[in-house]
Amino acid sequence: MTASAIAPPTARQKTNRLSGHVNEFGLIAIIVVLYVIFGIISPGFLSANNQVNILRDGSTIGIAAWAQTLVIVAGEIDISVGPMVAFISVVMAFLLKWHEPLAISLGAGLVLGAALGSVAGALRGVFNVPSFVATLGLWSALRGLALFMTNALPVSFDDNDTLDWMGDNVFGLPVSAVVMIILFGLFVFVSRKTAFGRSVYAVGGNASAARLCGINVTRIRILVFTLSGLMAAITAVMLLARLGTGNAGAAEGLEFDVIAGVVVGGTALSGGRGSMLGTLLGVLAITVIGDGLVLYGINSFVQDMVRGVIIVAAVLLNVAALRRSGRGRH
Amino acid sequence: MSQTIPPIAELRRATRRYPGVLALDGVAFSVQPGEVRAILGKNGAGKSTLIRLLTGAETPDEGVVLLNGKPLAIQGAGRTREAAGRGLRAVYQELSLVPSMSIAENMFLGAWPRAHGILDHRSMAEATRHALLRLGLKLDPFLLISALSPAAQQMVEIARAFQGSPRLVILDEPTSSLAAAEVDQVCAAVREVAAQGVAVLYVSHRMNEIRRLADTATVLRDGRIISTLPVAEARTEDIVQMMLGRSEQTRTIIPQSGGETVLEVRNLAVPPKLNGVTFALRRGEVLGIAGLLGSGRTELFESIMGLSKPLSGQVLVAGAPAPRRYTDMIQLGFGYTPESRKEDGIIPMLGVDENTVATDFRQVDRAGILSNKVIAEATRAIISRLHVKTAATTTPIATLSGGNQQKVVIGRWIHAGSRILLLDEPTRGVDVEAKNQIYDIIRSLAREGKSILFVSSEIEELDHVCDRVLVLRNGQIAEEHAAPKIDAERLLAACIG
Repeated sequence: MTASAIAPPTARQKTNRLSGHVNEFGLIAIIVVLYVIFGIISPGFLSANNQVNILRDGSTIGIAAWAQTLVIVAGEIDISVGPMVAFISVVMAFLLKWHEPLAISLGAGLVLGAALGSVAGALRGVFNVPSFVATLGLWSALRGLALFMTNALPVSFDDNDTLDWMGDNVFGLPVSAVVMIILFGLFVFVSRKTAFGRSVYAVGGNASAARLCGINVTRIRILVFTLSGLMAAITAVMLLARLGTGNAGAAEGLEFDVIAGVVVGGTALSGGRGSMLGTLLGVLAITVIGDGLVLYGINSFVQDMVRGVIIVAAVLLNVAALRRSGRGRH
Repeated sequence: MSQTIPPIAELRRATRRYPGVLALDGVAFSVQPGEVRAILGKNGAGKSTLIRLLTGAETPDEGVVLLNGKPLAIQGAGRTREAAGRGLRAVYQELSLVPSMSIAENMFLGAWPRAHGILDHRSMAEATRHALLRLGLKLDPFLLISALSPAAQQMVEIARAFQGSPRLVILDEPTSSLAAAEVDQVCAAVREVAAQGVAVLYVSHRMNEIRRLADTATVLRDGRIISTLPVAEARTEDIVQMMLGRSEQTRTIIPQSGGETVLEVRNLAVPPKLNGVTFALRRGEVLGIAGLLGSGRTELFESIMGLSKPLSGQVLVAGAPAPRRYTDMIQLGFGYTPESRKEDGIIPMLGVDENTVATDFRQVDRAGILSNKVIAEATRAIISRLHVKTAATTTPIATLSGGNQQKVVIGRWIHAGSRILLLDEPTRGVDVEAKNQIYDIIRSLAREGKSILFVSSEIEELDHVCDRVLVLRNGQIAEEHAAPKIDAERLLAACIG
């Protein structure tokens, strides 16, 4: 019986609204620093053209990262993103090659992505297979299947005006970036303003308590993976439009960038905490690092190395900032 | 008690304070080799603190702890090892076994016998088999702990404590998860080690076990030792009187409610804890369930709520068979607050608001879109009704005190509009002010026509809140007490039976 009776509101609780965004401020600072450094060392980094490039590359990571944020907030992980994107782009390319209408081809891809995601979700939610293992299985199976179907060759199909437009720009912005931004707004809305979104946080924060509140934990766990599969399929559509072929080797290592973006964005891998805005900034940071290093022109193997170090350093800084503001631990 | 033999363990004028609480107040305590001593006292009487001082888990603020005639000298982390080195073993209610390792490996956890630097599995298994047989257990030493029933795990834990050459073994409610036959085995083993000169401290409230086992009993109350007496000469009523002391609180006079039956439980059996529980709950009634730890109170709630499946029996809601799914029970207007607030109650990182409205989002949305304004209003209604002390509706619930967290956990069912509430130990780990507020909340809910099932280990609070109290003992309803004739002493005597 400890008498921790009546706690008067502390100064920290009063400034909650501001300190709640320490993480986001920290990320903005990191991105500014990256812009300054690359602006100096990488030729053409600050050009308008390159900003469009950053947006386009960012959308490949971002769309999948929005759903991954919910997956990780729910206390799960989805590592099947890259092979999922590649496999679905191959399937859609075949359908187009066989002269199926565009709407049907893309629609089938989206349904397939949602269905495959649901399979991973059901493995986790119903059969209690750890999500890392369930999606590791998908990761291997889907890449293998896509390579087998295509013999590792690109699948080409007839030109399609609509698809070409989707791979192009609109009002000076890549269509994929516009899609990313619209989906971002949608996910912010879903995560903050719907019972489903808040249930995801509740399940990740304490699944047992959430269940006793009457939240259908199994359903939530399945749905976050359904969304993750669906977002991977949308990424596949954008990739197909940009490349003009279905490619079994595409999006290699995408899951790494997606998860890194979410984690750099301040989402706790243990679940229950994280924000879409954080992920947006995290994805931006990851993309800027990749783009800046390419323009700097160092060896691509060294790029991977530097990228790894910068990502860990960014998370380290973030954790330190969170701890200082007293919100890192509960 | 002969004073010629030096005591195995001794506390001299030991005092331990926690913020706001004097847990032990200048206690003098000693136990002789070969003595089996029962420790009795209600929650918060100082039993756990006494044990923690002996095991070295805590250091007294004043006074000394002596084991084998020598004071424990090390401060801090090494102190428990020092105590263990002098032959002290303790078995707690929570298990401390590694589920994914074998029985034998657990018996020697961290001190595995080695031959030429390699683990000696054969001698480990041999010693384990021997230690288990002493408790009448014929188990394969290579079985994994996770493959054992909770009762068997508890037995392994006890076998581990008796192993080697202990001088003093502390058993903290060792039989709360055991069935009758296993209790017999534990009793036999305790007597055997005592005959070899080992002292045993036996924390339990089951008088029939204590009478079979213990030579002497120490009764604690409010951090002091009230008496140490020979068990054979003590009457149960006297022990109860010593545990409770003189009650100075004026009892609230509670009107007996006479509403219609809303919940009926018939012959509910959940082996090994419950065998045939029957009772009815009426509208506007607060029905208390009294029983010792391990008497099956939580199992009763879980099987009513559809969280676990009873072996047999019926649950009727308003005369109709209850659905067997938890979410359907909630739809029917049931609400359940679990025993462990931290593990199963709060969602620590979320605000008070979301912890409140999580039971029913439909009340706080407009066409599927959650409204911050409505959420804040709904939360404020609960906060003001239940006197929750929080800086804002969005304050993370983990930063609140235990009592305020508990009020929110109850409040979420008020938000959901539940008509029948099952509260499992709602006042556990809660300060006195919050306790009284929770009693008031429960009474005011009953006045509104809600029905409440109230489980508590703290017998004296049942007569402040309940219209009727059922005593759960040996898996059945042993007695029923109705207001205004609910008496803590008689209830406690019925529980420890």
